[in-house]
Amino acid sequence: MFEIIEKNLKSKEASRASLVQLRGQKRTMTLCTVLNGVLESFSQIDLSGVSARTLVQSKSWGFSSTNRLKKENVEQTLKTAVVLASASAKNKPKEAKVKELPAQVATIKADAKKPFEKASLEDIKEIPFDACQGAMEAEVASAKATFLAVQDQKWFASSEGSRIYQKLTCLLLFVDVIAKRGSLYCPASENLGHTGGLELFDMTPPASLGKEVAERAVKLLSAKPPPSGKFQVILHPTICATLLHEAIGHPLEADLAMEGGGFGDYVDKPVMSKLVTIYDDGMVERGLGYLPYDDEGIKSSRTFLVKNGVLKSFMHDRTSAAAMNVLPTGNAHAWDYSVEPLIRQTNIGIEKGDFDEKEMIEDIKEGLFIQGTFGGQADASADFTFGFQNAYWIRHGKLEEMTRGANLSGNAISVFKTVDAVSKNVVLRPGACGKGQFAIQGRVVPAVRCEILVGGAGS
Amino acid sequence: MSLAHFEEGWQFLGDTARKVVRQLERKGASAVEAFFSASRTTEVTIRNSQVLTENAIEDMGVGFRVATVDNRVGFACTNIVGNEKALIETGEKAFSIAKLSPSTPHFALPANEKSPYVDGLFDKEAANVAVTEFVDVAYRLIHSVEDIDRRIKAKDGRVSCSYSKKGIVNSFGVDKEADETYVFAYVLGTGMQNGEVTPSCYDFELKRNFKLNPEDVGAKVGEMVVAQFNPKPIESFEGTVVFEPEAVSYQICDALIHALKGENVVARNSPWVGKIGSAVTSEKLTIVDDGVLEKGFGSRNFDDEGHPSQKTVLISNGKLESFLHHAATANKLKMKNTGNASRFNASFEMAKQIIGNGYKAKPEVYPSNLTIRAGKKDQSQLVSKIKKGLLVGSMAGFVQAGSGLISAQLVRAHYVENGQVKYPVKGGMVTGIAFDWLNQISDLANDSKQFQNSVVPSICVENVKVIGSR
Repeated sequence: MFEIIEKNLKSKEASRASLVQLRGQKRTMTLCTVLNGVLESFSQIDLSGVSARTLVQSKSWGFSSTNRLKKENVEQTLKTAVVLASASAKNKPKEAKVKELPAQVATIKADAKKPFEKASLEDIKEIPFDACQGAMEAEVASAKATFLAVQDQKWFASSEGSRIYQKLTCLLLFVDVIAKRGSLYCPASENLGHTGGLELFDMTPPASLGKEVAERAVKLLSAKPPPSGKFQVILHPTICATLLHEAIGHPLEADLAMEGGGFGDYVDKPVMSKLVTIYDDGMVERGLGYLPYDDEGIKSSRTFLVKNGVLKSFMHDRTSAAAMNVLPTGNAHAWDYSVEPLIRQTNIGIEKGDFDEKEMIEDIKEGLFIQGTFGGQADASADFTFGFQNAYWIRHGKLEEMTRGANLSGNAISVFKTVDAVSKNVVLRPGACGKGQFAIQGRVVPAVRCEILVGGAGS
Repeated sequence: MSLAHFEEGWQFLGDTARKVVRQLERKGASAVEAFFSASRTTEVTIRNSQVLTENAIEDMGVGFRVATVDNRVGFACTNIVGNEKALIETGEKAFSIAKLSPSTPHFALPANEKSPYVDGLFDKEAANVAVTEFVDVAYRLIHSVEDIDRRIKAKDGRVSCSYSKKGIVNSFGVDKEADETYVFAYVLGTGMQNGEVTPSCYDFELKRNFKLNPEDVGAKVGEMVVAQFNPKPIESFEGTVVFEPEAVSYQICDALIHALKGENVVARNSPWVGKIGSAVTSEKLTIVDDGVLEKGFGSRNFDDEGHPSQKTVLISNGKLESFLHHAATANKLKMKNTGNASRFNASFEMAKQIIGNGYKAKPEVYPSNLTIRAGKKDQSQLVSKIKKGLLVGSMAGFVQAGSGLISAQLVRAHYVENGQVKYPVKGGMVTGIAFDWLNQISDLANDSKQFQNSVVPSICVENVKVIGSR
């Protein structure tokens, strides 16, 4: 791939731009979905393509991509990117200049104990079948298991001399169960995922994952709806991950932060509870956001965003870093070759605290232990809504009966001011994001205790 | 790639896909389908009162579904379309996957039936608009939002046009192609007042041609932002809620789609299984899926398996008349195919989002234009009847699949008392079961709006539980 893209860097078109970034990619995805014991889909998807991103007059970006790799197609793609970048250059105010950076030359291959490449199609098929089989409990109306492997090879070449090759494989297993009694439906789900090989299933075999989800869904049939109103709660890592990503993470992305609101210009000021330290780290091994170099060729490292409650940094690409006069943090990511890089989280995390789960429960007079996520959304000012799958009542320091799920809402910055306990135990979770384009990411999360608005229909 | 290169590439792709279908049939496949699509998209994005980037993306690919005599089915796709070899290999791959798959007993592909021609789905001019015009529309959007009030900023936005082609060939005589254009202009604004930022307000146009009205869209967004200044928290109560089209199109339509999708009837996940002919909603409600709506954003001549588009009555005065189907669900349930195979729907399922759509996806059942029949009154007449309640412009949060549970955050909502809109609401949620709400509809307005796969008016729902943040 380097042969296809590299020579364009010396072309006449390239010389019209102040910076040229070329990316090539090959991606193979294998998908196998089993619904109620019947194979619903078994697919293989082979994609490849190149893109050109150019900066013109040091202030205007243009981007173009194609799936066709012939010489003339790639040349035309670069030409289009330059034309596009020039189209609005005259309207744009002069912004801070993107800093020149030393060239990076690297070859990265993520480790796997049991490489996916060695698995046969028969082996692959067994994974969702086992998970679905495990979920076939009484009262389960529907059990769906989806296995997905994404094998990526990425090439990056820039006019600054960077040449980076990265080979990464992500594996994911999704289990979605709906239990039914009469006209009552109760859903439950759980995902597994990492960057690596089939050792993903050594700790949690697919069948046991299916069984766990199904048992939870069936148990929910006998549970009451959760209450509504403001409660002291413990957020299990599964739901803490969603809150962290959606409502804290997004407002910490420099492009969204610059929109105003949210964390605004609070750098070096306290913004949340002293017990909270938040970072983003593209080098977390096995994390779905393990990306040693970003899509502008910047090397990943751990960026502290909030340290002991004090705002320290935002996540940056080169443009936002220039605007705020700081160094880029390696957060420019594109979902695939076909789209431009945006500021994205890699593996966002909260550092572990001092509490064990029992201690966190003991201090609650009346509250909820909230588990599982049904996804959610948030805006730049950190207002959020997201669904949880189930909860347990906590009364007088004791965990009591289970309730069904509902949504939580509020402003995450206000919620994180109320954090008064963070658990010792942290887990690596799979995550996803849909900020304009898709992304798979990691989250490293403990349980946290805080106050939150619960939108249940019960009393 | 120039337009000529693009058309040439398309021709080669179609010819080769047809060849591969015939080859696989000769090798013993009992049913083969090639779905091929291509798109050229130009888009200009807005961020913080400026044009952020200009992008041009082109893509072209093919997906093969191959079935063996005993209905074992495999799927493989690729965008490596420059040579015959890669396409042949992809077809072979689908066939080998099929051979090692267990049987899917009700697998079916449509037979060849003549498709209607829906007017206004392709606009030659739109396919050739120069990028400078996109930039012009983008700046007009920004200015018209910000001209309303100096406290307002255009935070986000997009002007895009896709020229898209699709083709379908199968073993039962289907061989169809269509050209379409999709134009999207959108802008989002927020206002800052007393150090507080308003919720995000946005509006958009979804069209098939480039005749856009950025001034109207922008002004409307600006006015929405102004209406959000000085919000107040509210107490919890139960009352009457008028949901504006935006709110209806999202959570309420998602619940409807879940209940109407053929796959969910097959899997018995729909609460309406076995209820054809019975009342399932308020008799005020009539819903059709209109795949042949002129210039409709979700319209098409044929669905993504090649079945002709049609107009299907789903709910008539509250009575369930039909579900939505593609070939396989219709076959399984011995019902008529309604032409609702879709490879382009916006799924929330993570695996599907990773895979992508178009040629990369197998079809699933999805509405074309899910159309809720509008009422006769203006929205303001509906609001004037409210004793205590809300006017909800937009909500955040997903509907829970299966149960129909909505517990949504109020994003753009006003408190209403004795028919008067009092003030914007700060925080708060509404909660309930969507299927209960559908039975509590007391009226509909005449303000229908086109969304990606729906055309819906404001609806008035009685006895909705509102959770205050006070």
